[in-house]
Formats: sequence, structure tokens, C-alpha cells
Amino acid sequence: MSILYVLIPLALLLLGGAVWAFFWAVGSGQFDDLDTPAVRIIMDDDEKPDDADQ
Amino acid sequence: MPTATESCFHCALPVPTDCDLTVDIEGNRQPVCCPGCKAVAELIRDAGMSRYYSMRDTPEPGVGRPSDEAAEWQVFDRDDMLQAFAEQGKEHAEATIYVGGMYCAACSWLIETTLTRLPGVETAEVSPVTHRLRVRWQQADAQFSTILSTLAGLGYQPQPLAPENTTRPELIEQRAALKRLLVAALGMMQVMMFAVGLYAGEFQGIDQQMQRFLRLVSFVVTTPVVFYSARPFFAAAWRGIVAKKPGMDLPVSIAVGSAYGASVYSTFTNGDAVWFDSVTMFVFFLTLGRFLEMRARHRSIDRSTALSSLLPNTATRITGDDTTIVPVSQLLAGDRVLIRAGDAIPADGAIESGDTSVDEALLTGEVTPQKKSRGDLVAAGSVNLDGQIEMRVLRTGSDTTLGTISRLSERARYTRPAFVTLADRIASYIVIALLAVATIVAGSWYFAAPERAFVITLSVLVVTCPCALALATPAAFAAAGSRLSQLRLLVTNGNAIEALSRATIVIFDKTGTLTRGLPQITSVMVLDESMTEYDCRLIAAALETASTHPLARAFAMSASLPKVSRHQVEVGQGVCGSIDGRRWRLGNANYVGGGAAIDTSVANSAATNVFLGVDGDVVAWFDIEDELRPDVALTLQSLDGMGLRTALVSGDKQGAVADLASRLGIANFHFECRPEQKLEIIEAAQREGERVVMVGDGINDAPVLAGADTSVAPAHGALLAQTNADVIMLGDSLEPLITAIRMSGKTMRIVRQNLAWAIVYNALALPLAAAGLVPPWLAAIGMSASSLIVVLNALRLSRFTATPRPFK
Repeated sequence: MSILYVLIPLALLLLGGAVWAFFWAVGSGQFDDLDTPAVRIIMDDDEKPDDADQ
Repeated sequence: MPTATESCFHCALPVPTDCDLTVDIEGNRQPVCCPGCKAVAELIRDAGMSRYYSMRDTPEPGVGRPSDEAAEWQVFDRDDMLQAFAEQGKEHAEATIYVGGMYCAACSWLIETTLTRLPGVETAEVSPVTHRLRVRWQQADAQFSTILSTLAGLGYQPQPLAPENTTRPELIEQRAALKRLLVAALGMMQVMMFAVGLYAGEFQGIDQQMQRFLRLVSFVVTTPVVFYSARPFFAAAWRGIVAKKPGMDLPVSIAVGSAYGASVYSTFTNGDAVWFDSVTMFVFFLTLGRFLEMRARHRSIDRSTALSSLLPNTATRITGDDTTIVPVSQLLAGDRVLIRAGDAIPADGAIESGDTSVDEALLTGEVTPQKKSRGDLVAAGSVNLDGQIEMRVLRTGSDTTLGTISRLSERARYTRPAFVTLADRIASYIVIALLAVATIVAGSWYFAAPERAFVITLSVLVVTCPCALALATPAAFAAAGSRLSQLRLLVTNGNAIEALSRATIVIFDKTGTLTRGLPQITSVMVLDESMTEYDCRLIAAALETASTHPLARAFAMSASLPKVSRHQVEVGQGVCGSIDGRRWRLGNANYVGGGAAIDTSVANSAATNVFLGVDGDVVAWFDIEDELRPDVALTLQSLDGMGLRTALVSGDKQGAVADLASRLGIANFHFECRPEQKLEIIEAAQREGERVVMVGDGINDAPVLAGADTSVAPAHGALLAQTNADVIMLGDSLEPLITAIRMSGKTMRIVRQNLAWAIVYNALALPLAAAGLVPPWLAAIGMSASSLIVVLNALRLSRFTATPRPFK
């Protein structure tokens, strides 16, 4: 069980990293729009334009 | 194969019968209503984006129709404009654009796909909810004006937003709330894991050292949850104490603070138990509830920002003989601006020269274009349809009618309805009572079983948190207000919803309320043979320039008018003024004739008679008739069906009022009322126990509207700014009144359900917790579930649909 003394602090470090990453993402505006991504997923872009020169 | 009900494939407006334009989409010939729509549909097809038509929702008619006028987008490539509207880097520039005219997710797909195909455009992202486009382009390869004109070419109305408008305060609030929520969520998950270990240890036995270690890491993780995520609760509780009005944040803070404190103490003294898991869970659920409530609030703010985005971006200012194009933000009152046909009007102002008709539909919903000529007022945000006009700017920015609409809806958001204040006061008594109960419970258990006293007191504090009670009313009112504004009803007074739901009688004003307020002179009787009909009309028109009475609009003429001095307006009577040294009066028979008998036997009794006199002699009278609003009869029928009485009060004479009342089936009518008499009628009804809704235009009836329990005003373009009613109906029809009353009833029903639920929940949970049957973690779940139920119940109001039309 003594492995926990290593693993739990390690988990806390990862947690700190995750919080830092999330704070950075929020600060850079990635979470400002919480509604669009939900509908964006249903629009796929794989269809090519009809005319070849585009 | 054209049929009568054929609608345009692109914009859904009816196709004119003499129009046979079609467009070939995916092998089918589809009808379109105009060359513009044809061009846009072909543009979309040729770009290989026909799928737009299968992806989109059914459009509102007219949306997406391209504007006829190629707007002057070039001006946005000027350095000062770029500086104002874009954030420029070394090679890139970014801008936020409000896209008017989009209505669903397919629009955002179309916009993004079209823009990213432009050379030099790197990214384009549109939110279908806020209608905001964020676009980033290479300055060397693309121009701002190209982006804007591409959007306009697709049939949208692009509106660049200045960068300071984009970092909105609600965005900052949302970012902070998200961070708090995440810290609480991650913290809760971690502490739960450690708690599983600790609980398992209770049963299986655990190494003393490991137990201390797990408690210590729980403490480390819980600390930021308490001091960062829960800080708003502590701050609000403290504000409540300072203001001597303890709110629901106080017991929350006590529960969180004491559980945390006791756990910390227990951790460092090897005590019996820790409650870090309950603390983090409680904070997480509370933060989640607040977050959902905040999001609902922000949606209604987006609406009013959208409203103020109806203004054009630039205006053509006239200085001497020159014209310059300036950003609208630089316009000042007193400036002269040139407005070409098809342009939106940039500020409130008066027309100096030119005749035109103006589309005020965006502002008032009135679909018929309004004729405007010299001297008429026009409102910012309306569209100049056919003539070129020069306008003197009277009000700009937030002072305009449009700004007033935003401000009024703002006001409603910030005035707390009496009902909510009452609920808050009750909640604060409940808080005090709960604290007392908790103390008694703690005391009793201390003597009965001291080792359980703390846990049970903690459960009592958490489970009885009156969050649901405090959220019950404001959540429902916020949802109702936001939904009503989507249904073209502006609630400007927070008390209006409750008052409307209790209404027993609806009193209508006649002119401008039941009628359109666009009176016209139908005949002129000239009594003085030395004068012609034209002379009388000229003098009347000159006298009426000072009046804001709805009837005054009938007299407006575009000819040059004689000069009037010593203008005076008698409310409810008429106007007088001196022309060439003679004292003219225009108004009702009494006012003009000074009580002398006037033979009106030949007058048309259905029309309103307005008399023109000079020095006490009547020289002419005008028959004025005013068209009824389209759905008056239907509205009255619906009111009747809802069990509401109706009445009519008017300043008009008996014939006109009685005629209208009998046509509409209103038994209770009053005529020839001055404003103070109208007020007396309302007060008399109130003394009989009636709850009065007064529907009037609010311009001549301000005191009457103020005297009623609720006042409702139909909005009239440029005059809207003077209206101060509790509820403003944007539009030509009276039908929103029915919607408002039905919605208010539903809102109050939901408030009552919420309150009943909150009270029942607390009444059941308190004894169970006091008896020691509810552990703290269950208490946290119970309390959160009860608040969530209340909020979700309130959100049902945002799906309320406008009045169905059973009579069609």
C-alpha cells in the first residue's frame, strides 16, 4: 500500500496541471461560446464544391 | 405550377403573382420572389452549398433576403475604421461582426464555409446563439470590406462590433464562474476517491498512518474548493450580515465553514471523522446551480445587445456642400445627415428635406411603411425605403428610441419585483429561524449523544438551506421576462407580471390603441365663407405642429406653413396659437367655441370632429377617422374568453366612442374624458376591488397609465421613447396583450408550484435531519436536487408559445 504515498501526490500534480490547462483555456476564450460546438458537430465539411476550380 | 400560397424558396416570402423567376436546385425548379433571392440562391448553389437548404430550419419569411442597396463597405478599409473595429496584428487582423438576419445553425455553416473560401481569410466562426462572427484574416491578401460585402451578398446584415463591445462583462462573469465550477468539480471527484478509501478503512481497518495521509490530501484538495469556489457564498453572506438581511448564503456559509473547520481540526488532532467529501459536494452542487442560473440570465442580455445592433455602421454627414462618411459613433445631436433610399437611419432625428416612407418594422413590428416628410420624426434603426432625405440629428446612441428600448428592458432586469423582495424578506426570517432550530438541535443532541451532535447539526444546516425557496420566484420571473421579449413584449417593470396575472378588467384607450393612431381627415366643413378648405388645413397643420396628440398626425402637410407664435397645448382640449396677430384655436367644440352652441347635426357621428376657430368664432370643422387595428375584435373575444371584463375610455365625443363600442361589443364605455376623468374612472373601479389593466399609448395618458395596476402601451415608432408603461407591445397588433396575460398567469402558477415544493421539501427534510436520519452527504444531494427542480420548473416558461389562434 505504500505505493499510494507516491501515486497520490503524483495524481495531485496531474490535477494541478489539469486545472492550470483549463484556466489557460478559459482565459484564452475557448469556453466563451458554450452553445455552438453542440451543433457544429452535425455539420461535416467533407463534401467538395461542385465546380472543380474552387 | 404556381399556386396562391407559393412562397419563395430562399426567403419564404410569398411570391408575387406576376413573378415567374425560378432557380434550379439539385434538379428541382424552385420559385423565388425577386432577382435578389434568385442571385443568392444561385450563389449558394454554384458554390456547392445547396445542402444549406436541406439543413436549415424553416425560415421566418423575409429573413435572408439580400438588401437591394450595395452598402458602402469600402469605408471599412480606412485605417481609422480598421482601428475602431478590428484588432490588428503584424500580418493578421481579427474582428467580431454581429450578423443580422441569421436564424439557425445552417446559416452559421453557410457563413463559415463561404468566408473561409475567400483568399486570405484564415478562420471564421459564428455562434448561432449570439449571432456573432469572429473572423481572422491576412491583411495582405484580404480586405475587411470584402468580408463584409460577402456577408451582405449572402443576404445577411453584417454589423462590425467595436472591440470594447466584445469583452462584455457577462463574458468575464462566465469565465470566472466556469473556473470556480471546474475547481469544485475536480476537487469533489478527488476527495470522493479519498473518501472511499477512508470509509472502506472504517470497516476493514486501516493503517493509522495511511488514514492520516488520506485525510491530509483531502484537506489539501478541499482547501481551494472552499476558499476559491465557495468564495462568492462567503462574500454574499457577509454582505447580508452587514445589511442586516441574512440571505440563504448565511446558512450555506456556516455549514461549509464549520464542516471544513471541524474536518481540519480533526485531521490535525487525529479526531474521529472528517467531512471533506460533504463539503466539496455541497460546494459543487451550489456552484452548478448558480452557473445554470447565470447562463439563463445572460441569454436575455444577448437579446438587448442584438437590438442595439440594428443601427447602421456609418452615416453620411453634410458639412456645408460637402458630405463625409463617418462612423455612427461620431454623430452628434445637431448634425445634418444624408440618408439614401434603402439605408437604415443612424440616429433619431427630424427630416429637414425630402419625402419618403420609412419601414419601422424592426422597432415596432408595424409592417406598413410610414409616410414621412419635412418635420416628421424618424427613429434610429428604421429603414428609409424610397426617397433620399436630409435629417437633423436629435438624439444619438443610447438616447435614441432604440437605446430606450434596451434601457427599459435593462431596467426591468434590475428592478426587483415587490413579490421577489417579499420572498427575500421571508427567506431571511426563515434563515434566522433555521439557525435557531439548528442551535436547538445541536444543544439537544449535545446532551443526548454528544459524539453525534456535530454531524446532525451539519445535516440540518445543509438539508434545510432555503436555496429552493429563494430561487423559486426570481428564476421564474427571469425566464418569463426573457421569453416575453422574444414574443415582442417588453416588460419594463418587474411587478408587471404579478399584477397582470391578477387582472380583472382591461380598460382601453381608443385613439392609437384600439385604432392604429393614423387618423386621416375624411371631410372638411368650412363655415366661414371668406376662407377656403385649403386655408383651414394650412392653419390647422401649423397649429398642430406643437402637439403630440395622435390626431395631430392627420393634419400634417408638406406645404410651407404659416408661422405660429405663442403656441399653447391644453391637454385633452386642443391647441392654440397666434397667426398674423389673430388667436386661433383647434380642438373640441367646448374649447374652440367657448361653450357657444355649434350646430353639429350634419356631422358624421362615427368620426371625430375637430373644430378650428379664431377669436371665439368657429370657422371650420374636420371629420377625422382612424382605422381600427387589425385584430381588435379577436383580442376582445379572447379577453372575454379568459373571463376578463373590458371597458373603453376615450377623450373622443359620444358618437364616435359609442359607435366603436357597439361595433366591438364593449358595454362599458366612457366618452369625452379628460385625463383626470379617465383616472377617476380607474380609481372608482379599483375602489370596487377591480384590478385594472390600462391599455393606452401613454403619451397623452401618462397619469392614467400610472394610476392603473398595470399599464400596457402599444409602441409607436419615434414616440416610443416617451412611453413609460409597465409593458410595451412592439407591433401593430393587440394580440401580445393576450400572450402577456396568459404568460403572467402561467408564471405565477409556476412560482406557486416552486414555493409549495420548497416548503414541502423543507418541512419533510428538517425533522428527518434533526432526528439524525440524514447523513451530511445525503443532505447535500437533497438540497441540491430541490434547487435544481425549482430552476428546471422555471425554465419550462422559456418554451411558452404565443397565443394560438382558435378563431381562424
